[in-house]
Amino acid sequence: MKRRILCAALALCLLCAGLSACGKPEEKLEKFSAYSFDYFDTATTIVGYAENQEAFDALANQAIARLGEYHRLYNIYLRYEGMENLCTVNELVDGAHRTVTVDRRIIDLLLYAREMHDKTGGMVNVAMGSVLKLWHDYRTIGIDDMQNASLPPMDKLKEAAQHVDITKMVIDEEKSTVTLTDPQMRLDVGAIAKGYATEQVAKWLEAQGVRGWLLNVGGNVRAVGKKPDDTPWTVGLENPEDPTADYLAYLSLTKEALVTSGSYQRFYIVDGKSYHHIIHPDTLMPAEGYLSVSVICPDSGMGDALSTALFCMSIEDGKALVNSLKDVAVSWVTDDGKQTVSDGWKEYVKK
Amino acid sequence: MEHIDKTRLRRNDVIFIAALLAVVAIAGACLYFLRGEGNTVTVTVDGEVYATYSLAVDRVEDIHTGKDGLNRLVIKDGKAWVETASCPDGICAAHKPIHREGESIVCLPNKVVITVSTADSGNQPDIVV
Ligand SMILES: [Zn+2]
Repeated sequence: MKRRILCAALALCLLCAGLSACGKPEEKLEKFSAYSFDYFDTATTIVGYAENQEAFDALANQAIARLGEYHRLYNIYLRYEGMENLCTVNELVDGAHRTVTVDRRIIDLLLYAREMHDKTGGMVNVAMGSVLKLWHDYRTIGIDDMQNASLPPMDKLKEAAQHVDITKMVIDEEKSTVTLTDPQMRLDVGAIAKGYATEQVAKWLEAQGVRGWLLNVGGNVRAVGKKPDDTPWTVGLENPEDPTADYLAYLSLTKEALVTSGSYQRFYIVDGKSYHHIIHPDTLMPAEGYLSVSVICPDSGMGDALSTALFCMSIEDGKALVNSLKDVAVSWVTDDGKQTVSDGWKEYVKK
Repeated sequence: MEHIDKTRLRRNDVIFIAALLAVVAIAGACLYFLRGEGNTVTVTVDGEVYATYSLAVDRVEDIHTGKDGLNRLVIKDGKAWVETASCPDGICAAHKPIHREGESIVCLPNKVVITVSTADSGNQPDIVV
């Protein structure tokens, strides 16, 4: 009988040990999340660990407010009372662009955009606004009225493509001014602004001492430190060919950005064929060959620009570009659903 | 006699221990598998938690937002999807059913987010993109 009691005690101990090993580890910090729908035409999710709801909200609300400031500054279609933004930079007054004194955050974005233009051999070009506006206008009409959806005429696109020279974007850093010296030129920062703003908000959070947060601004993901239990964030990367299939990969992020450009993200249908939003600078048509290109790198702005640029390049050229940069890993999913990855990608794939 | 008794006791003990171990193993396995599944969906409207539903219970819920916003959430066979919605783009209703931890359906016009989550996320992703 004694022995049975001993056995029962032992079993109880095992059960307890098993339970505690499976159970949630004791943590002082709790996980919270916040959402915003107002900025960059997308949904923003902030997930983070904090001591309580109030502490989380205080920071999350400030982060979202900051994102809102970038959204207004970088908006190319809407102007806001009492401020100069990229919409007013694009405006024509008496047939010409003014020299506009802008917020430093606009100067910094445009300088970064110019740098990325040069690094990618012009595959990301914020001066392509005239071409992209044609696509934007036709897409907007096409989504609204699917029966009458049409493509922008090629002669119009070619005419617009005469005015995409980024050297005509003149920046005076000292005076904090921008001038577009070609009246037909427009800026479109759609390939970089969201990622750049995400990066700035992440950096601000880091400067506040925040760790264990994750930002997701419409697919521009940026990790701000590991989780409190010292594990990385896990991001499931959807299979663009079949979203119900297993994830393409589970990725571990601690401080990196992950940005995906996909042909399924923003598109419209003309005569049964889908036309997405990533316009190739040479063909002036949606870039062909990929379902998605995902980039992991230290900077969300760079990830945003690179994922667009790589979408417009062959895998071979893309690999050469990636290898010339530091700490950049890429996954390409081609139209046939096959995945190709760069050398560094496997480091982030969770085993 | 003594000798035989001891042997029988030992055999009973072995059976007893085996039974107990089996109970522990089954309990552990249940816990392990239960927490691995994405077993609830949380609905938020404009950032505020609207409701949380178990994925194990089939149901239809109308999520009312703003003045006349509506997203009809269906939970069936452990999966959740938006059946119909008042939004102009219909992206949420076109979204495939979700059931895995971290997956979500977003309705931008109605400011609705439907996310699969568990009490303990274990090895499941924190988000899905
Ligand atoms: Zn919707």
